[in-house]
Amino acid sequence: MKILYFAKLKQYIGKNSDLIKIKDKKKIIEVIDELKKKDKKYKKAFDEVKNLQYAINCEYVNDKEFVRDKDELAIFPPVTGG
Amino acid sequence: MKIIFQKESFLVNKKLEKFSKANKAAGSIISFVGKVRPTNNYKKIVDIDIEIYEKMALIQMKKIVLELKKKFKILDYLVIHRFGNIKPHENILLIIVASKHRKDGFRFTEDLVDWLKVKITFWKKENYLRSSKWIDQKQTDRKILKPKN
Repeated sequence: MKILYFAKLKQYIGKNSDLIKIKDKKKIIEVIDELKKKDKKYKKAFDEVKNLQYAINCEYVNDKEFVRDKDELAIFPPVTGG
Repeated sequence: MKIIFQKESFLVNKKLEKFSKANKAAGSIISFVGKVRPTNNYKKIVDIDIEIYEKMALIQMKKIVLELKKKFKILDYLVIHRFGNIKPHENILLIIVASKHRKDGFRFTEDLVDWLKVKITFWKKENYLRSSKWIDQKQTDRKILKPKN
């Protein structure tokens, strides 16, 4: 599954995407817990960037939603365009 | 009916004139331009960087426009939102709306900007002389998310 990071979260993690394997399905919150264990940068990023928002295949969802291997998950701080 | 995301600057007058000429049935053309401020909390802004998740921005923008078109009678619209590096006083956003009557145009434009600020995947970073800061979403902008009584 492709995970995309944007803005401050991307800056903290130090890259804009990751590819991970998902067997069957997993909740977004579980994916994040695994990423946080991966290394300090991820832990700091997910602990310090507040009010994160989530999108699966470009649709807003909450962190209890399930993702599957073919999905594109995006994680980002609240938007600030306009 | 166009939504455009681009790095390049645009000339408001040219866009407005072309749009106006193409909408002969309209009795009202409303335009809104969002610009880069020169300062934020007395700090001089050197320039800003706008990041975009383009695929999602387009999908969400189309959804919002579709909903607003159910509420307000409009004939045509043009939305241009820039991304990349932009200097103070330059344009970021242009919305032009054609309608038969002005109220539909005004309300469509205002709601579109309000929704854009909370749903469309752009992020602003302000660059100052010696530092940079990702801008936080304003609490006041989130009012649109609460249902109106």
